[in-house]
Amino acid sequence: MNMIVPLSELRPGESGVVINFQGGPNFRSKLYPMGLAPGVIIRVLDRFQFGPVIIEAGGTRLAVGKNMADKILVRKL
Amino acid sequence: MAMKVVALAGNPNVGKTTIFNALTGMKQHVGNWPGVTVEKKEGVFEYNGERFLVVDLPGTYSLTAHSIDELVARNFLLNGNPDVVVNVVDATSILRNLYLTLEIFEMGLKNVVIALNKIDLAEKKGIKIDAKKMSKVLGVPVVPLDAKDGIGMKDLKDVIVAVAHGEVEETPIIPTYEPAVEREIEHISKCLEGTKLVSKYPVRWLALKLLQRDEEVMKLVERHLGQEGLDRVMTHINEVEERYGKAMDLVIAGQKYEFIDGLTHEFMSYGRAGGEPFTDQLDRLLVHPVYGFIVMAIVFYFVFKFIFVFGLPIQNWLAEAFTDFGNWLAPHIANEALRGLLVDGIIGGVGMVLSFFPLVFLLFLALSFLEDLGYMARIAVLMEGILRKFGLPGKAVIPLILGLGCNVPAVMATRTIEDEKDRLVTMFVNPFVPCSARLSVISFLAGLFFPKESALVAASIYALAFTVAILSAWLVSHFVKGESGLFVIELPEYLVPSGKALLLHSWERSKEFVRKAGTVILVGALLIWYLSNYPVPIGTGGSYAEKLGHLFGPYMGLMGLDWKAAVSLLFGIIAKENVISTYGVLYGTAAAIRSAMTPLQAYVLMAVTTLYIPCIATIGAIRAESNWKWAALATAYMITVASIVGILIWHVGLLLGWGA
Repeated sequence: MNMIVPLSELRPGESGVVINFQGGPNFRSKLYPMGLAPGVIIRVLDRFQFGPVIIEAGGTRLAVGKNMADKILVRKL
Repeated sequence: MAMKVVALAGNPNVGKTTIFNALTGMKQHVGNWPGVTVEKKEGVFEYNGERFLVVDLPGTYSLTAHSIDELVARNFLLNGNPDVVVNVVDATSILRNLYLTLEIFEMGLKNVVIALNKIDLAEKKGIKIDAKKMSKVLGVPVVPLDAKDGIGMKDLKDVIVAVAHGEVEETPIIPTYEPAVEREIEHISKCLEGTKLVSKYPVRWLALKLLQRDEEVMKLVERHLGQEGLDRVMTHINEVEERYGKAMDLVIAGQKYEFIDGLTHEFMSYGRAGGEPFTDQLDRLLVHPVYGFIVMAIVFYFVFKFIFVFGLPIQNWLAEAFTDFGNWLAPHIANEALRGLLVDGIIGGVGMVLSFFPLVFLLFLALSFLEDLGYMARIAVLMEGILRKFGLPGKAVIPLILGLGCNVPAVMATRTIEDEKDRLVTMFVNPFVPCSARLSVISFLAGLFFPKESALVAASIYALAFTVAILSAWLVSHFVKGESGLFVIELPEYLVPSGKALLLHSWERSKEFVRKAGTVILVGALLIWYLSNYPVPIGTGGSYAEKLGHLFGPYMGLMGLDWKAAVSLLFGIIAKENVISTYGVLYGTAAAIRSAMTPLQAYVLMAVTTLYIPCIATIGAIRAESNWKWAALATAYMITVASIVGILIWHVGLLLGWGA
């Protein structure tokens, strides 16, 4: 069962593969160079109630705003 | 012979500054890139008697046209003709760092040196990198480094010099994409062939950037091929994407990481890491939804204390020293007009500019410390969810709090905010935050007119000011160009900053402040001095200041105030505490002020003094951090808001029968 869900729905400890984005080119091109591109594996470290999701991607920790995390689609691992 | 130029490029938080400092030592200069408010650092190092100019490019994750930082770095790499490009790569996050490296390679540069930093940290994490193999795979020299402890710096200099002298043959690896993408690159390359563009830029890079809809490159193509030529290329790309069912930029980015992943397998392997990293352990406390805020409050308390407990006495001492100097000098100048100009105008003005230096210096010291430590990013994470609702970024919390002390360092603190739009909005609303000078006005009037509930009255003014600031942020964020709310930030490893580098950098940044804000402050001080001394000194009723006051008297009447308020507010532009001292000059005693106004009028005066204009030093700071237009706009906006609030309070107060 490989579900595709927004990043914001992963719980701390869960991992996923980035599949697609629901945002325009500007949105996407801000994410690519920070390590969020199709095929990249990410792991959720922490989550805030209303604020950002903290993830690990490509050896770095990133905090991703709630609005953004809603638009990043991942396949749950 | 001209000095050879070495450009430093790399992601933020990779130790680029440490390498810059280690290369250049104490010989460096902080300025701005021409036309933009992006910090530019330059330094020099010597090698066997030859001097090399090192230019530190802004730290960026890529080289797109979306942010000023990236454009500055990209334009320098493309058009600045650096002799050597040192690409600093963080060994603990090779995958992401090589994304930028490949972008640099795709620009066709063949003079790149990779400074592989933080190898000590990578080893601790169980990451093993074979630098020799990495160099072979990438086709450029790779120098392993632990810049923090100065390990590998000698090798880096050797390699830089060798590349600068053309002694190294480089074959940087260029990623290949799947056939469909390569076909399009070829097709677009053909469209561009024969144009002048191709002689200036690598054609493959142009084609790739067009496929990714890079706005700057699209403009370039339009300039060379005309609107029609650009349309032809873009229509083609649209068709391809339609057929393909996917955006090209998405495909390219995904395949770039796939390509990087393939490369790293040849020179990198993962061993066993030594338990949970220290940073992760610390973060469980520092970005905790409860403890995180407690720690942040404590940190803010100390930062505030550090800046103002040390800074304000030095500021006062400096201001007094200049006054004393003026007083000492005065009797030695016979010409009365010249004496006034020199003592009150110039010495007073210069004294004021320099008196801000300690505050600004301590601010930069504290900010650089928090930033180098890695804590600044955590503050952003904690506050983002709350402040974003009002159009402000998480990091705006720092200027908002510093503003309570002085808006000048607060405005300077906005430079830690990455996004241009966020930065502009944050500095625009900052002057609403009541600084300590306004506290003196508020507490004086509250004590005089509301002796029983002075604390409550003062608190209501603070509440009013913060409400206005937050609502303004919400409003203004709708008018500033740019996408905001796209919050993604790296949480770097915690690192103990180097004290020497902190001091040096803060010193250079403070000098830059004096240079840029200084002129505004000086001109303002001279203007006010002139208005209050010509044609006759103030207090006689004939000075330009008083005439101006009478001119604005009827306007002040709309909010229940008179011409004397107008004069006082005029002097408050220099420094807000002047509002009270000018009232003192005009009325003589506190008792006279008390009997001349009703409590409602005093309340209006408090509100208006708090909101009406940034003081001249703050205007200078806004100008230094953005541009003249933005500083003028912020000033005009504040005057408007203060007028509306003043008129509202006065009339609502009258309606409620508080006028007596």
